[in-house]
This record gives sequence, C-alpha cells and structure tokens, in this order.
Amino acid sequence: MTNLNVKYLGLDLKNPIIAGSSGLTNSIENLKAIEAAGAGAVVLKSIFEEEIYLEFAHEFSKLGPMDNNLEFLDYYDYQIKKDNLKRYLTLIKEAKKELSIPVIASINCVSSQEWGFFAKKVEDAGADAIELNMFILPSNLSQTSQDNERMYFDIVSRIASKVNIPLSLKISSYFSSLGSIIRDLSFSEVKGLVLFNKYYSPDVDIEHQKIISSDVLSHDSDYKLSLRWIGMMANRVNSDLSASTGVHDWQTVVKMLLVGATTVQVVSALYRDGFPVITDMIQNLERWMDSNNYTSIADFRGKLSLDNSTNLAEFERVQFMRNFGEYK
Amino acid sequence: MNKIIAKEYFSDKVVKLVVENPLIAKSRKPGNFVMLRIGEEGERFPLTIAGADPVQGTITLVVQIMGVSSSKLVALEVGESITDLVGPLGKPTHIVKIGTVLACGGGVGVAPLLPIVEAFKKAGNRVLTVIAARNKDLIILEDEIRKWSDEVIVMTDDGSYGRQGLITAGMEEIIQREKVDECIVIGPAVMMKFASILTKKYNIPTQASLNSIMVDGTGMCGACRVTVDGKTRFTCVDGPEFDAHLVDFDEMLMRLGGYTQEEKKATEIYSQKL
Amino acid sequence: MRSKTKNKDRTLIPRVKMPELAPEIRVKHQDREVNMGLAPEQAQTEATRCMDCANPTCIEGCPVSINIPKFIKYIEKGEVLNAAATLKETNALPAVCGRVCPQEKQCEARCFYVDKLGKDAVAIGHLERFAADFERNSGVANIPETAKPNGIKVATVGSGPSSLSFAGDMVKYGYDVTVFEALHEIGGVLKYGIPEFRLPNSVVDFELENLRKMGVKFQTNFIVGRTASFDDLKEEGYKGFFIGSGAGLPRFMEIPGENYNGILSSNEYLTRVNLMGASTSNTDTPVLKGKNVAVIGGGNTAMDSVRTALRLGAERAIIIYRRSEAEMPARIEEVKHAKEEGVEFMTLCNPLEYFADEKGRVNRMRLNRMGLGEPDASGRRRPMPIEGSEFELDVNLVVVAVGVSPNPLVPSCLPDLKVTKWGTIVVDEDKMQSSMPDMFAGGDIVRGGATVILAMGDGRKAAENMHQFLQNKSNI
Repeated sequence: MTNLNVKYLGLDLKNPIIAGSSGLTNSIENLKAIEAAGAGAVVLKSIFEEEIYLEFAHEFSKLGPMDNNLEFLDYYDYQIKKDNLKRYLTLIKEAKKELSIPVIASINCVSSQEWGFFAKKVEDAGADAIELNMFILPSNLSQTSQDNERMYFDIVSRIASKVNIPLSLKISSYFSSLGSIIRDLSFSEVKGLVLFNKYYSPDVDIEHQKIISSDVLSHDSDYKLSLRWIGMMANRVNSDLSASTGVHDWQTVVKMLLVGATTVQVVSALYRDGFPVITDMIQNLERWMDSNNYTSIADFRGKLSLDNSTNLAEFERVQFMRNFGEYK
Repeated sequence: MNKIIAKEYFSDKVVKLVVENPLIAKSRKPGNFVMLRIGEEGERFPLTIAGADPVQGTITLVVQIMGVSSSKLVALEVGESITDLVGPLGKPTHIVKIGTVLACGGGVGVAPLLPIVEAFKKAGNRVLTVIAARNKDLIILEDEIRKWSDEVIVMTDDGSYGRQGLITAGMEEIIQREKVDECIVIGPAVMMKFASILTKKYNIPTQASLNSIMVDGTGMCGACRVTVDGKTRFTCVDGPEFDAHLVDFDEMLMRLGGYTQEEKKATEIYSQKL
Repeated sequence: MRSKTKNKDRTLIPRVKMPELAPEIRVKHQDREVNMGLAPEQAQTEATRCMDCANPTCIEGCPVSINIPKFIKYIEKGEVLNAAATLKETNALPAVCGRVCPQEKQCEARCFYVDKLGKDAVAIGHLERFAADFERNSGVANIPETAKPNGIKVATVGSGPSSLSFAGDMVKYGYDVTVFEALHEIGGVLKYGIPEFRLPNSVVDFELENLRKMGVKFQTNFIVGRTASFDDLKEEGYKGFFIGSGAGLPRFMEIPGENYNGILSSNEYLTRVNLMGASTSNTDTPVLKGKNVAVIGGGNTAMDSVRTALRLGAERAIIIYRRSEAEMPARIEEVKHAKEEGVEFMTLCNPLEYFADEKGRVNRMRLNRMGLGEPDASGRRRPMPIEGSEFELDVNLVVVAVGVSPNPLVPSCLPDLKVTKWGTIVVDEDKMQSSMPDMFAGGDIVRGGATVILAMGDGRKAAENMHQFLQNKSNI
C-alpha cells in the first residue's frame, strides 16, 4: 500500500499536493471541492495590504459630492481594513469547521507594521500555518540589496514573535545571491520556503502601442527555475521547500519530489483544468511509485538533489560549459 | 413624567423604585435598560429595567447604593422626579422555547433577571434559577423569582440564608443532575466571569448581561466597549447581553476600574456634603 | 450705499483682524472663547470693504444661500438688527455659522477680492457673528415671520444643525414641528462636540430659544424607533420625518491595547467635557486627565480634543497625524490657535500599539514614522510606514479622533430604508428624500461626517421638498 503522507511545516499532510494561494481558494465551496479532489492542504487567497488601499481609493470615488468630507475619509482605510480582515477571519473559521485538511492563511505585505498583530488574529481564528508572501520588489530604486534582504529577516522575526503556528515564506528569485539567501532564510524562524513567486509580466501590444499584462497563468516550462534551485539547495537548507509555479502535471510533481521538494503547490493547472487535476496527480503519483516499488515519499524524495559536498557554483559552470560547449 | 410613584427598601442598600413613564413602559422588552440623570449636575448612568406595567404606565428599577449617582437616585422621595430618563435601550433578551433554562442572578442582578425568567417560563421552558448574594440582606425578589421558576436555589457567601457558597456551586449542582439547554447570568462582572467558565466546561450556551461603564448609552461614545470573540462591541447597542463564552471578562473587569479613583473621591465629597 | 464710498477707496482698507484672547490666558479656561468678536467700529469698517457686487459670487459659495451683500450693507449703515434679520431669513443659526463655518472654503473663497483682486476676502464670517451676537446681546430678538399654521405634524429625529435648520424652515411654512432628541440636551454636535472655547453652549441655547418662539417643539430623552416607533408616531398624526441623527458612532483604529483605560474616542472625551461639564468641579461626570496627552487625528475634532486636554491641565498635548501638516483636514485657523496654545504637532507619525500599567491604565505607546509615497485616489500622497523607524512615547491619556460613522439606531428600526454599506442613508440628492417617501434625511447621517453648514443646507433642502411632497399629497 503506497503511503503518500508527508510532514510540511510540522503539519501532517496525507499527500504532498497543495492547492496554492489564488482567487480559487477564496470561498468555502471551492475549498470543500479542493478537499474532495484529494488535496493534502490548501493555502487561502492572500490578503493584500495594497488591496485595502485600492478599495479605499475606489470607495472614495463612489461616495459622491462630499465637500468638506476629508475629516470623515482621512482614516477610512482603517475601516475598510477592519471589514476585509473580518471577512478573512470568518473564511478561516469556516474553513477550519468544514475541512479536515490543513488550512494555511496567506498574507501579502509590504511592511511588517500592520501584519504582526493581524497574524495573531489569524492564528486565533484557527489557521494551521501562515504563508508570508513578501512583495518587496526589486524595482524599488531607493533600496539597496542589503536593505531589501534585511527587510525579509525583520518581517519574519517580527511576525514569528507574535504567533506560535508555523510560518512559511514565499519568495521570488530576484536575489543577487540567491543561494545564500535561501540558505540563510531557511535558518530563520520560518519552517518552510516556497520557491518561487510568480510576478507580474508586462508585454507590449504593438498594434495599440501600449503596455499590457500577460502570462497571468504559468507556462509548462516555468517549473524549471524552481526545479533547479530546489535541487541545488535541498541538502543545504534547514527548512521544508515547497515548489511553486509551473506545476501542471503529475510528471512535474514527481520531478520536484525527486530533487528534494517536500510539497508542491498547484494553481494555474486548477484554473485551466479544474480541481480534478489534483485527483489525477495523486493517482498517477501512486501509480509511478508502485511501478518503482516505492511505498512512501521518503523512499525517493531528494534522490536527485545535489549532494551537500558538491560545490554548487563549480557544478553549474561545468554543466554550462558541457551543454553549451557541446551544442552544435 | 418620571415621577417616583412608589419606593421600597429591600435592605438598607437595595431599593426598588416604581417610576412613571408610559412610553418606556409600553415599548420596553426584557433585557432593555434605561439611562438616568439626577439633577442638572448629575451624570448619566444605566439601570436595567426590572419590570414594567404598561397599563399603569410605570417601570420598575432596582438600585444598589454604590456611589454618588445611585445615592442621589435613592435619596429621591415618592412624588419627586428623575431629571432625565431615556429608553428602552439595548437589544432585548432573545427568548425562545429551548427546553431547560438555567437562570443565575447575583446580588442586584436578580432584578433584571426576573422579567427574563418570567419570559422564558411563559415561552414554555423549564426554568431553574439560582440566586446568590453575600448575605441574607442582599437577597432580593425571592418570592417573585419562585413564582416563575420550576426550582430555585438560594446561595449566600456567609450561609446566613439558603445554602452557603458561591453561585457557581448552585449552578454546578443543577448541571450535574439535569440537561441544561441554555444559561443566562446577570450579576457582578467577576461572578459572570466564573459562571461562564463553569458553563463553558459543560458546553452550555450562555448569555451574560454586561454592566459596562456608559456615558450616553446610545452608541455614541464607545465608553462601554468590550471585546467579544476578538471584536470590539458596544454594550449599549450591541448588548447588553452577549455570548458569555466569547466575552473577554478580564478586559471588561479592567475597564470597569477605569474611574475608581474619581469615583472614590466623588463619593467622599458627596458624603461630606450630606 | 454704493455712492457713499468709492469702490477704489473700499479696496484700500485692509481686512480686519479678529481680536483673539491671549494664548496664556485662554489655555486655563475651557469656557473662554478664543475669538472675541469684532467691536462695532471694526465691523462697520470691514463692512465698508464689501463692494455690493452686482453679481455676488459669495452667495454661490454659501450652502444656505445667505444674502451676504444685503446683511453686510446693513452693518455698514449701522442697522445691525436688520442685518441679523436678513441672516435669519435663510440661516436658523447665524451665531453658530459665524463661528464654525469654514468660510475660507466657502463664501470667502468666492469673494471678489480673492477672485479678481488677489487680496484678502471680506471677513464675511466675522461679520455674520458680529450681527448675530449684537442681536443676542441687545435683548431684542427678531422672530422671523411664520405662515398660518396648517395643522400638519412633522418630526425630526435628532436635534443637531440639520434638524434645527429643517425645523426652522418647516415652521415658517406653517407646519407643526417637533424635534425629538435622544440625549437630555438639544443641539447635537453643537452642544456635545464643539467646545465652549469655540462655540459657547449659551450661544446655541439662544438660537434654540428663537426656534421655540417661532413655535418649534422640542422633546428630549426620546429615541425615535425605541421610546416610540415610527408607526406609533404616524398613528399620532405625524406625516413626514426628517432623519438628522448624525454620525455619532466612534471609530477606533483596532490596534493592540486600544481598550486600555485612558484611551477614549473623541466623542466620549468631548461629550464628557462639553455636554456633561466634566471640566468643572461641581458636576458629577468625571473626565480622565493626563499629564501627557496624545490625540490621534488631524481634523477639527482632533484640534478640539487636544486643546481641551491643554485646558484640563495637560503638560504635553500632542497631535499625532500620519500625514503632513499641510494635509490636515482641520481649519487652518484651528491649527494656528492650537500651536499658539502650545500644542505639539507630531506629523508623519502613526500609532502601532499601546501599553498599560498593572491597573490597566495606558502609560506608553509605540509609533512609527511615515513617509509620503505616491498619491492615492484622493490626490494626496499616500502615507507609508518607514521600516525600522519605531519609537515610544510616554502618554497617560489618548484620544482617538480618526473619524466617526453614521449612528445605526434609525436604520436598524426601518428595514425598508435604503442605506449604503457604511450605514449612511441613501437620498435623492436634489430632494433629500430617502427610499421611503415620507422619510427625508440630511447632515452626517447622509454625508458620513461633514460640516455644520452643509448639514444645515441639507435641512433647508429637505424642508423645501417635504413641503412640496406634503402639499402635493394633500392636493390629490
């Protein structure tokens, strides 16, 4: 009997397939369907600091001809935040009542100030863990790379001091010293790192000559960046690694596990093909494990991760020379 | 309007007043309270309505003498008027036929408990009531409570009447032998806190009627705010009754002490003036 | 009048300066007005500046359309009581408006002097106050004419500026008006919200007495919807209702520690002092005093709160506002007065958390500094917390003045009444009529939280339209 159980962030999951944070994980009906499809855990839609301000701005314009209303509106974003947070906490409570799989809340922030105490409320509402999605963009020209990096550690520290539930951190690959940052973050208070975030991709519409957004959903080949870094870092980190972006089929799930991922997160595939994708992945994973005589995930997880003793940079250089040197 | 029609001393500290106010008598429901003011310099303070007679056009208030305002109210004689009286305020008690109701009143909290006990009984429930006070003198309205209860247990701290012990002892005895579907507690905040801890242990849904400090009583100032289920609620418009298991009683007790120094000083000055 | 002085000479006169009580004196008194009022000669000279324009743009700036040149010319002529009567034609509370209106954004902003000459406007506000005070002090109160009583009963819910203005007009149309008020004093925010040093309650009482003399009835300690229901009142014959119940629901920031003792909403703080007289020793209502007082917010309410704290003996009274001073909603005059009195302004700062002693009384707060980022939808630059800039401040009293929300009492009694998601009543903006035809509304319960004069404008509009509505109904 194949056993797909894994431990992620200290939580027991019946399989390594997680429905990642997206617009789909925002309603109790969807969450129940995701559980029915067999997911090992679910990450709720992120609550965005920006969202609150945008709603404030939107509501402002709807309020109509209000001269001299500035005093009333000045701090109105606090009111909107209160309402948004209330909704989010209600969703968490409902989810915990209806679901038996772990429910991970997601916070998307630009600063730690507001989220420290909110994280506590999320914990009180019953969330099993919190996934922090730090939206610190490299396009912020006023910050140096050290400033940026320090923020990650500060925020994690601040939030970890307020809660007892485990934290995971979803990051981008925009670091000049990505390897050491992954390693160092894994030794901070987080119990898991999610590699990698998917960011806004602009494109150009040459017919109308304007900037448009593109690639809201990931492409099949997008998994390769996560694959590479998980493979390289799995034996060098002190936390779980969760693969995110581009996990569309059961084969990619297997690949990620082979290179050392603890779990995988699926989003775009659910948009494209619906929740049955999860069931499909689980069944095929089991089938593949059976045909290879694996009875548990531990039997093969990390089999292809780079050894601790390998010099990563040297390894990469040699591979590069080999591949591109030989390519005719 | 607002004339004292009748006055009765239950003890030297607890007084019952029947006040003329036809409008409030007609529109009030069990659980509502009023805000009063005695004299032009008086402060506004709340009292739960203990009863009403819509035909006579009167409401009944029961007051325990604690500080300046309650003293001024009790000093009024029959025929004199309360300067300002407004109501009915607060959300009325949610009365349903649920089965067996455990009603618990501590001290002067028995007064507002009475109309609730009556309403639950009239709705077809089995009503078991525990009333408690420090000593015999402070036990009030026992006969009226008995009229509307299937069983009454009386507890006094010093054993001078009924059984000796705290209200929770009487409550636990009933809970152990009967299935209780709902509980309502009214009394000093610390009593409600421990009563709530007891019923939570047995998973009995419990309503507590909070006695927070108030200034306007209409939802305007936030002085009466309490934290219920992690959210801020105003006792005067969202309450005064709340799900006891979700009330942060420790915070409420702390907030009740917010003006202790001022209250002490004012009481000293007032008693000197007398 | 125009010929008496040449326009050219008029424009040479500089704008009058309102005499102000010295800061050192006024911080010791809750009930001494800061602006002391113009002397008659000053008023007359200032009135001379007004050029009685053929096309008075100032009137367009007034939410209640006072005939400004007319009343000002009366002052110039020395017929001040006539000036007061002119004000009363359209404004039920001229002594109030003269003190608290933001004239600099309204009538005075449209003055010819500002528009075309680039000079200081005629001091319309100061003149309005002068005329109203003159009448009050003269003991000769002009009671505006009212039409013959038509026997139709209408009611207001609330006794603040919008209801009072509505009542004043309805009684002139001949209606039987009753103003219902939940508190024990009439006036709403005029009494409980605006401090004595800006608007003495005695001034408000005088205007209320005038309304009484015109025939308006007042009923205190009466909560429409609770003490008696709307249906009960309809049974008693009330045909129309104006809902002016205001925005008296305090808003908090919901940050950790905000429920400690010593942290109050501005509503609570000002009500204790202004309505309940807590600053004087012979009233029963206490108010908490603090050595170090922080007031969070940047509007007029915040200014009122922080200046009250000073008068109650604070050693430090501090405004904490997350944007810069230039972006504060408060009137510039209030900020100026606050600074003269010694209020400290900590702008670009925002509270994060409060701490308390073992008894639960606040004793410290943590704040962080803010930077200004990109403009948000209001066009103002968005305040962004500066990472790592946290610091602490010793405080033992905090007043949260970050805005108010509409009072939910009335909407909760009328399920058919259409409200927005924040509880403001939806009305036809031209008629002030709600989704229930016999219910009109105005003031903060519709706007969220605006000014006294806008509330009054709403009251007037509602009166005009309810009058039409009831007349049409009875004609059918």
